Amino acid sequence: MAGMVQEEGSSSVTSSPLQFFSWMSLSPGLGSPYPWHRELKSEERGLCLIQLLVACANHVAAGSIENANIGLEHISHLASPDGDTMQRIAAYFTEALADRMLKGWPGLHKALNSTKISSVTEEILVQKLFFELCPFLKLAYVITNQAIVEAMEGEKMIHIIDLNSSEPAQWINLLQTLSARPEGPPHLRITGIHEQREVLEQMALRLTDEAEKLDIPFQFNPIVSKLENLDLERLRVKTGEALAVNSVLQLHTLLASDDEMLRKNSPSGSKAQNSNHLQRVLQMNNHRTLGEWLERDPVHVLSPSPESTSTISPLSLSASPKMGSFLNALWSLSPKLMVVTEQESNHNGPTLMERVIEALNFYAAMFDCLESTVLSRALIDRQKVEKMLFGEEIKNIIACEGIERKERHEKLEKWILRLELAGFGRVPLSYNGMLQATRLLQSYGYDGYKIKEENGCLVICWQERPLFSVSAWRFRR
Amino acid sequence: MLLEKMAEETISSIGFAQNPVLVGSNPPLVKKKRNLPGNPDPEAEVIALSPKTLMATNRFLCEICGKGFQRDQNLQLHRRGHNLPWKLKQRSSKEVRKRVYVCPEKACVHHHPSRALGDLTGIKKHFCRKHGEKKWKCEKCSKRYAVQSDWKAHSKTCGTREYKCDCGTIFSRRDSFITHRAFCDALAEETARVNAASTMNLAVGNNINMSSYHHHLMGTPLGPRMAQHFSSIFNPISSPTSNETIDQTSQGLSLWMGGQGNNNNLQEIHQLGSSVSSGAMFCTDINPPQADYQLNWVFGSNNKLPAAATSCDNGSEALASTSLPLSDIKISIGTHHQLVSVPSLYSSQQESSHRHHQALSSSANMSATALLQKAAQIGATSTDPSFLGSFGLKSNGNIQVQEGNQYCGLYSTSNTIASSLGSDYEDRNQIQMYPPAKRRHLQSDHQDSSNNGGGRGQTRDFLGVGVQAISCHPSSINGWI
Repeated sequence: MAGMVQEEGSSSVTSSPLQFFSWMSLSPGLGSPYPWHRELKSEERGLCLIQLLVACANHVAAGSIENANIGLEHISHLASPDGDTMQRIAAYFTEALADRMLKGWPGLHKALNSTKISSVTEEILVQKLFFELCPFLKLAYVITNQAIVEAMEGEKMIHIIDLNSSEPAQWINLLQTLSARPEGPPHLRITGIHEQREVLEQMALRLTDEAEKLDIPFQFNPIVSKLENLDLERLRVKTGEALAVNSVLQLHTLLASDDEMLRKNSPSGSKAQNSNHLQRVLQMNNHRTLGEWLERDPVHVLSPSPESTSTISPLSLSASPKMGSFLNALWSLSPKLMVVTEQESNHNGPTLMERVIEALNFYAAMFDCLESTVLSRALIDRQKVEKMLFGEEIKNIIACEGIERKERHEKLEKWILRLELAGFGRVPLSYNGMLQATRLLQSYGYDGYKIKEENGCLVICWQERPLFSVSAWRFRR
Repeated sequence: MLLEKMAEETISSIGFAQNPVLVGSNPPLVKKKRNLPGNPDPEAEVIALSPKTLMATNRFLCEICGKGFQRDQNLQLHRRGHNLPWKLKQRSSKEVRKRVYVCPEKACVHHHPSRALGDLTGIKKHFCRKHGEKKWKCEKCSKRYAVQSDWKAHSKTCGTREYKCDCGTIFSRRDSFITHRAFCDALAEETARVNAASTMNLAVGNNINMSSYHHHLMGTPLGPRMAQHFSSIFNPISSPTSNETIDQTSQGLSLWMGGQGNNNNLQEIHQLGSSVSSGAMFCTDINPPQADYQLNWVFGSNNKLPAAATSCDNGSEALASTSLPLSDIKISIGTHHQLVSVPSLYSSQQESSHRHHQALSSSANMSATALLQKAAQIGATSTDPSFLGSFGLKSNGNIQVQEGNQYCGLYSTSNTIASSLGSDYEDRNQIQMYPPAKRRHLQSDHQDSSNNGGGRGQTRDFLGVGVQAISCHPSSINGWI
């Protein structure tokens, strides 16, 4: 047997050509002219995939379709949604790259996507799976609830606005915590926003049930609406009630805007103007002007980012009219507390390559985390989450532009800047919140996760890689 | 004055001449007495107003701006604003004779003086409600109202507090809901008892029978409602249900600790839940996570349950064979889960121990994050900083593609990368061809990530060469064949 690399678990093969090919034909998806692919060990294959992916993305970014096509061809022989971690990641990334390429032929793209049936049931299920399989949402809920309970101490009327109300678990937990309050439970009103009526109906049912049992005066007001189209009048915030806003992985969608148009309309970002802008920022007292200004002009704030090893990049906030007006509107409701949970990664870079690299790092960690956390008997569920949740996010980050690109994740430092500019003051998350989160991790036996505290905000990490950030804010004059 | 005005247009008032047909009038009180509804004061003066009068609003108009008011007093107060002379009528000193009103609609019950209504506003609203056009519509539901105040009152409460019984009936009032539920529960309990008896043995046949029986029983009162359909998605996964005792250690229950919050509700559906779980969930044993089974139901029998066979033989067979009643079962199960309490966000013991096992026996493959770091190391010698900092890979647009060479993609790719990595790699790339034997030796040494720390130098060298060697030297690989 002359130097045949052995894949783990595969049987050894003689050097006879016939046997080689028959062996090869047994391997799924490898009727390829690249026989050595099969011989690659997982690690080498992984590295190969990374290099190929980056190269291919380069081609796509540069517009060289031919090269990109060849790259995709190569990757297709190594990647697979059923393979090991890197293979799966590569599969979804190449799908996203291909989708992006295909958009260059709009007719073709539309024709291929026209018969796609998107199942609402599946989407809802996938969200549920993500909640079940990973601790991230549970942690966010626990931390948020702790912040709410602390901020609402002594309040008799609490009104919570949930920007994406799909998981009753969070509020059931809150109801239980509130019922144990020494001064008795408050009157709780939750306004849930979601695009699907059925989801809200289900929420209403579960929550009112729970409130009944705990004997807490409770009301659930459903609002069927897209977040970006939300009419704040419908929230019916009343005077005298303490308002809390809960945003779990929602705010970034409001950053989606027609970047091209905005770039044309905004003043050019020359250095001189940067310092002028900075001056204006510092002198601004009136939040309203700030908000309006934020809507119109991109803010360039020079600050050395502590973690980046590359050259100093200006921490520029991309202008987003929707975000500006939304935050303004929220601010005008003078909420006592607003808790924002977001992905801790910069997927809103202006260039494709930036986003590809950031996304590779982020989703590699997510896939690893999922692989390690999800028990072997739930592999199908894991694949669902990978395909329908992560895969779709990756596709949106890579293949979409402008208003379509909704998954505009940004790092905590940018959110801090945005929210502060919009007139919110930071509320440091208490040690208790961190305790609760750690306790949850322990009780589930989740290994490899860590909660870090950063400037009063909490960051949920997987093996040192920060993945989600939770920060709390309040209305500030 | 108002009544006098109205009297001009209407039929003259009729004295109440008939015998009092009323029974049981109020005992006289000191204050203004209020008759029981439907029993007008026999001494009262009966007024019959025309429909036009009853429906009219804003009869009093301001001459300056034309604004209309329902009462003269309001108009007078408004006239003050125009600096017009105004006069508020005082309540007349003499005793006013009580007035009752009849409905002009002949077919109406209240047309007869014996059923006259005592309040002017009341008769107006009545007429609008019963005999008027319903102009006001609730935006949330489909209810329509003729009287604006009714509509307003409804809008405030519409959708805010709804009680839904498992059988699908919706109530807006708590008392009626509770009453109904008491009767509804009786039916459910009976079903549970029947089912529990028949599911003691987990034989496949029985499972099928029970589930179809269950379906039969529960199927009738349940309407195929969207909400229930969704409840099956939501509930089975995160509800502890009665699995509290059966599946105390089950893990699919995620958030909710079985032990806490033991309510009466748990008791009453305990039986039901147990029957449900045993029947349709196939396994009431400890190990299999409920979540997976339930999740897989939702999609019918498409998904294979790799663990099913090992942990619960009955279950796996049952799953395969009972794809039909699944859709109905899940509805019933979903709704029953609604009754169960859901304690804290913290999980059960079993789940955590499972995870520990998992962590210990993690795959031998390198994690994707580690791979990325390694890839970055390979490019670490690059001196060109860019936003591809983590890789140190250049975003090089002009990559040469060697036509006609099937293996060129990889070749050229690594060529580019090699070029950014510095000259030493290039040399290796071109010149060195490790003999297969040696490569194999190196490869077999390098098992998995655990070797990383120790054999770092060797590993890197190997990989630095290995990747390129593999990709760039078809000849070396062909040599194997």
